Amino acid sequence: MRKSGLAYILLLPAIIVVLFLVIYPFIYGLQISFTNMNMYTVWEPKFIGLLNYQRVLTDKILHAVNYWQLLGRTVVWTGVNVFFHVLIGLCIAILLNRKLKIAPLYRAILILPWAIPDFISCLVWKNEFHMVFGSINIILNRIGLMPIPWLKSYPEAFIAIIITNVWLGFAFMSIVILGGLQSISPEYYEAAQIDGASAWQQFINITLPMLRPVLTPAIVLGSIWTFNKLIVPFIITLGGPAETTHILVTANYSAAFQYYRYGFASAFSMINFLMLLIFALLYMRMTRGAKGVYE
Amino acid sequence: MKRFLVVLAVLSLVGLLLLPSIGCKPKAKPLEGKVTIWEQMDPAELEVFKALVAKFEIDNPTMKIEVTHYTNEELRDQFQTATLAGQGPDFILAPNDFAGPFVTMKLLKSADEIFDTAFLNLFVESALNSTKLTGKIWGIPDRNGNHLMLIYNKDMIPEPPKNTDELITIAQQFTDAKAGKYGFVFNLAEPFWLVPWFGGYGGWVMDEDNNPTLDTEAMVKTVKWLKDLKDTHKIVPPECDYNLADTLFKEQKAPMIINGDWSLGGYGALNMGVARIPMVKETGLWPSPMTSSKAYFFSKDLAGDKLAIVKKFIEFITLSENQMEFVRKLRILPSKKDAANLPEIANDPILKGSMDQMVVGKPMPVVPEMRAIWDSIRPHYEAVLAGIKTPETAATDMQSDAIKKIKEMRGE
Repeated sequence: MRKSGLAYILLLPAIIVVLFLVIYPFIYGLQISFTNMNMYTVWEPKFIGLLNYQRVLTDKILHAVNYWQLLGRTVVWTGVNVFFHVLIGLCIAILLNRKLKIAPLYRAILILPWAIPDFISCLVWKNEFHMVFGSINIILNRIGLMPIPWLKSYPEAFIAIIITNVWLGFAFMSIVILGGLQSISPEYYEAAQIDGASAWQQFINITLPMLRPVLTPAIVLGSIWTFNKLIVPFIITLGGPAETTHILVTANYSAAFQYYRYGFASAFSMINFLMLLIFALLYMRMTRGAKGVYE
Repeated sequence: MKRFLVVLAVLSLVGLLLLPSIGCKPKAKPLEGKVTIWEQMDPAELEVFKALVAKFEIDNPTMKIEVTHYTNEELRDQFQTATLAGQGPDFILAPNDFAGPFVTMKLLKSADEIFDTAFLNLFVESALNSTKLTGKIWGIPDRNGNHLMLIYNKDMIPEPPKNTDELITIAQQFTDAKAGKYGFVFNLAEPFWLVPWFGGYGGWVMDEDNNPTLDTEAMVKTVKWLKDLKDTHKIVPPECDYNLADTLFKEQKAPMIINGDWSLGGYGALNMGVARIPMVKETGLWPSPMTSSKAYFFSKDLAGDKLAIVKKFIEFITLSENQMEFVRKLRILPSKKDAANLPEIANDPILKGSMDQMVVGKPMPVVPEMRAIWDSIRPHYEAVLAGIKTPETAATDMQSDAIKKIKEMRGE
């Protein structure tokens, strides 16, 4: 009991911070979501029950798309991005885990996409996707292919924002995975080699299971970050052309800060929060990611 | 008698002690304190502004002006969030259309509550009225115009085109897509650049009751004209955004650009001229860019010493000599009458050209509904440029979207 008491005292500063920075804004947001708060009623909002929730789920959110279309697009956006983050991150981490003389240099270079502010990376990528002056189309042109209107047609614009976000995200994943790989004892691999296991069998039966405690939270975090990634679509396409690259979070931002529909935007956020919570719980349960390797 | 003498002696002593202060007014305590301004200026603008802030602080050592920079969108979001929570800055420098939502949300103290009529009368009427809403003046303008115009490279074309036919003819002479050269550049996909042409075809975004007026013949013709510039006449690069247009013009790969007065300072290395955007031949009307200003807006919570410091600073920063610092370095038009009438402006061909364009412009509506107008134009206009919607359908959809969005904003 005495031990627990000390633990609670030590946790107290963190609890206070979480209380004021997470719990209080969350409860306030929840409260607003049941009101008609907008720019005209900001000082005297009225309780309107679940009307905002109903509007989010049934009305058009933007000009042409509704919540379910945006959700489907956001799921594709998140899934494709996280898949490539993990795939590229895993490949690079495995390569860097070998005894290479220049591995430390590569590790430092690897941090670059992550270390450069997202804003700068997005602006650079936006220029690279330009139809006439972007380097991608210049290369395509040189090899005799037609230029692609990356930013002005669908699905090219959607692919363009995915490419940018894959670039921004794989570095984090490879560093996390590399940390996980380095914590695996080489004895497992030596034993497997004595038993005649192939490299693929070692990967499937040793590497992947041993990486699970590292990968699961990284994937959950990566999914939540990607789901809520505002800056990439906002800077590169501004949701265009014709709203085809809007995802839930950009539409939510638009409702709150461009149309000042605070009640509606809060209800929208609460629904997004529920979606992410369900995903995280299901994923943790399915992958048993919260458990240790030996449990 | 003895008591009388004692009283007299005490009074004399008190009198002697008070003597030095007789005839002197009590010294007023100097204003003291720090005020905060949030702004969204360009680097060149900010440099001039900060130099003037430093000068003010030297002249008034007990006062401090803390300057915090934000991007345009950040400034709008942060100001409303922070001020609603009672944590906002004392004043901001922002585009005049910020007044719409901020006044509706009751976040501002009006300028006519702070400054007297004599001071307000020192400003050019159009600039001052650019912050007028609900019958009150809400901001002190720091410039006049903020409008689009035709900027051309005199080394490439000695005379600017007068109408749209001439524009096409001249621009085609300078277009060589394979060499990355184009005759005419501007931020093609941005609705703000569509508006002058809309005016040139006889249209405008709102009626007097702030209802959208987008589903018109003028909008259909405007959108078609803009698409034709890219696809039929091929004088504007495909996907021509702000940065591309600016770069091509600066690198002398384009002789003409439509850009705002804020950009003039950046083209100093070129032999540039400024003229009106060419007249639309079909209608005989000059394109009418939106005119506006940037203005100092004051937090609803501004009071006491802070209010006095802000007032003193505004009176300082808007002095004609200080406005002329911005004019010389940034080539923007001043908002003060005496500065606007200086021969230095009348004799400067760039500023004269800018002024000439401004007189055919129209004030940008500052009502919050403008947000719905911009966002309703954008996706459908983009769809036309991408070739997936006709101009007629786009105009109809813009109108219905704008009506719907305005209703949503009002919570109807």
